[in-house]
Amino acid sequence: MTNDLINIVVEVMPRFEGYVYPNEATQQPLWGVLIVLYPYVTGLVAGAFIMASLVRVFNVKALEPVYRLSMLTAFAFLLCAPLPLLFHLGHPERCYEVMMTPHLTSPMAIFGFVYAWYLMAVLLLELWFDYRRDFVEWSDSTSGFQGLLYRFFTVGVTDVSDSAVQLDHKTGHILSIVGIPSAFLLHGYVGFIFGSVKANPWWGNVLMPIIFIMSAMVSGIALCVFNYLVLSWIRRKTVDMKCLDVMGMFLFYALVVDAAIEALDWIHRIYSAEEGFQVMQYMAREKLFYTLSLGQVTCGTLVPLILLGLLQLVRRRVPELHRRRMYFTSASLILMGVLAMRWNVVIGGQLFSKSLRGVMGYKMEFAGQEGWFMGAVLLCLPFVLLTVMVKLFLSERLPTSGHIPHREGGPPAFSPAKT
Amino acid sequence: MRRLFKMPPQLFRIFLLAVGIVVAYSIARYFLTPASFGEYGWYRGAALAEMATRDRVYAGKQACEECHSDEYQKLIKHEHKGLSCEACHGPGEAHVQNPDNPDVKMAVLHYSLCLRCHEANPSRPKWHKQIVSKNHYTGKCTECHVPHSPSEVP
Amino acid sequence: MNRPVSRRSIIGKLGAVVAGVLAAPAAKAAKAVAQKLLVSADAPKDYHPTAHKWLMAIDANRCIGCGLCAEACKRENHVPEGPYFRTWVERYIITKPKPGSGAARGETLVDCPNGGINGYPEAPVLKEEIQHSFFVPKLCNLCQHSPCVQVCPVGATFDAPDGAVLIDPKYCIGCGFCIQACPYGCRFLSPVTKTAEKCTLCYHRITRGLKPACVEVCPTQARIFGDLKNPVPDDPLQQFYQNNLVIALKPHLGTEPRLFYAGIDKEVR
Repeated sequence: MTNDLINIVVEVMPRFEGYVYPNEATQQPLWGVLIVLYPYVTGLVAGAFIMASLVRVFNVKALEPVYRLSMLTAFAFLLCAPLPLLFHLGHPERCYEVMMTPHLTSPMAIFGFVYAWYLMAVLLLELWFDYRRDFVEWSDSTSGFQGLLYRFFTVGVTDVSDSAVQLDHKTGHILSIVGIPSAFLLHGYVGFIFGSVKANPWWGNVLMPIIFIMSAMVSGIALCVFNYLVLSWIRRKTVDMKCLDVMGMFLFYALVVDAAIEALDWIHRIYSAEEGFQVMQYMAREKLFYTLSLGQVTCGTLVPLILLGLLQLVRRRVPELHRRRMYFTSASLILMGVLAMRWNVVIGGQLFSKSLRGVMGYKMEFAGQEGWFMGAVLLCLPFVLLTVMVKLFLSERLPTSGHIPHREGGPPAFSPAKT
Repeated sequence: MRRLFKMPPQLFRIFLLAVGIVVAYSIARYFLTPASFGEYGWYRGAALAEMATRDRVYAGKQACEECHSDEYQKLIKHEHKGLSCEACHGPGEAHVQNPDNPDVKMAVLHYSLCLRCHEANPSRPKWHKQIVSKNHYTGKCTECHVPHSPSEVP
Repeated sequence: MNRPVSRRSIIGKLGAVVAGVLAAPAAKAAKAVAQKLLVSADAPKDYHPTAHKWLMAIDANRCIGCGLCAEACKRENHVPEGPYFRTWVERYIITKPKPGSGAARGETLVDCPNGGINGYPEAPVLKEEIQHSFFVPKLCNLCQHSPCVQVCPVGATFDAPDGAVLIDPKYCIGCGFCIQACPYGCRFLSPVTKTAEKCTLCYHRITRGLKPACVEVCPTQARIFGDLKNPVPDDPLQQFYQNNLVIALKPHLGTEPRLFYAGIDKEVR
């Protein structure tokens, strides 16, 4: 009798249509919102860093005001990046194993090393060389705990002569150059994690790492635009419009390339219509309608393309206030659209069965390991960290040696270096 | 070596820090890698022994023969010879470990078990003996069939 | 502190590092203690993993869909209640084409109520409309190029030398990559151990000369099991390969499964 009951319950569970393998019939997909967040956060890191490196490597002088903010953004988000992974693991206390016995055939195994490399050898070092002079000056002029902090960050080196500062700039330049492929590796391997899964036709294709990197750059630049506008608004400072226009230009062209590559993926799938195409089409239409058609494509790509494209064409005719609003809207929509894209890739790949005969639905829980609440907290955490960093390292009161964020009313610059 | 010591202080400190990190990592890796790792491949060799020593739940047909050789000999002479005792009687390792303990019982048998294999179903192969139970007989299967020697009449 | 760091202190530091590395033998002893190695005294001592090559084969012509195998596996391996299966049995029903439609076949219906553990209810279509119907037991396909082993980031799942593909439950971090990478859906994340789990060919049984639980209870010998390196007289596995044309599942993925099926249709994925 109980057996009959079990049969009925399993068979008419509304979450499933068609046939799914018995092991796929779980309440929640295996990789949930946490695994959606991780590529999103590392993508923002990589994108923000690439934008900052435009200043150092490609000498885009117009972007100097936003250099430090971009680097700090990348840093704050990078610090939070391992958290979703850690919370997702069945045994987080064994996480060290991935660095002790990394299985080199697995893309996931390079996480520990790429992350450590990027955090220490690229971001921290580049930030340190950029801020080193300021740390020395600030450790002298500030007192209390903050002064102690700045002194700690100088690592005991107090040489701020011209030659030392020159060396800092040169080293920062080299680090930026090294940082660009490192950023591609940091986020590209995540795309490869999905792209290497031949068992899943939604994931396993060669364009996946490229799509991830391009959408990462788009989201990173959008985040910098967003942060810059929000920071300026909070501090009631004038936005450097030239900087904003150049950011908007890079954002537009990055979005064009990203949209083109994603469109290519779609066109190829529809054209070649391989074995799993029927079930994937059904899944995308029925289960991913809001996040794909509305979220990623319309709001996240088409509307920003139109807004930013307009601004490229008729920038001079549009007054500053409206331009700022259009940039802000585009950046916000893009940020949401890229999150939707990560959702569509990660969750979408688990919404149809490997038997290619069935689809599943997904109702997120609120609390729990992979619930709404956890996702929201992990998304807000980097912004909290960034606020602390902005207070410490982009303070309006402390004099700074360069990369002033705002044209007027900003902190005084240093007088020529004292030996 | 001389050039090393003439490095500007900020680069030298960073270099020292880097060396320190690499050394700390190497030491950690040495201590935290399990001893049997790499014995047969990229995994803990001791895992094989650990997995091999799990407790069993089913005893296997041969284990029943030791004490129940009469039934066993009867079974293997008739149509159900391909069946394991535990296919019908349930897992037996607990009973094999505690043969004299009356509280360690084998599964209680019921006629629905016969139907589990013998109820007619179009998906079953044609050579398999199957009946539509409601047309065949609605009483107990054992009134006409002996499970250990199905073609015998009781 | 603007003076350059002294040469003496550097040599001192480097010397300390070298001495530390040279203290390896002492460290090894310390390490063994620190590891608290758990090799059970009960391990079968005369079993050498490299001397065997276990393999299973499925003769779907013989499967009657009783589900005793799936039930025995759940019990033998303490598989958690719910949608977690190390092995299961699927039913395929291929209906006759509609008259006049010009099609070779009708639709294919696949189902698997609770993994087939309690057997199968009546077919959802009338007997007269069925062109073909059969059962397909599924389990780990024992791939030669296992994608699951390839993607494990820590080396917790592996190809054992004797043919099984195993998971080390003490080392698995529960990331779930192997479960995503398996094309056959034979892995799951156990809600109890929070590690990945799968068919182990009942490793704890075969290393002691017993058969896997599913093979043990199968009433019709639809599951055939043997040791390729030590075939017994009239070895059923050798006979199976000799007497049957076989296929493997999803060959286009290049996993080279070693689990072969006789008697299944193209509709089986």
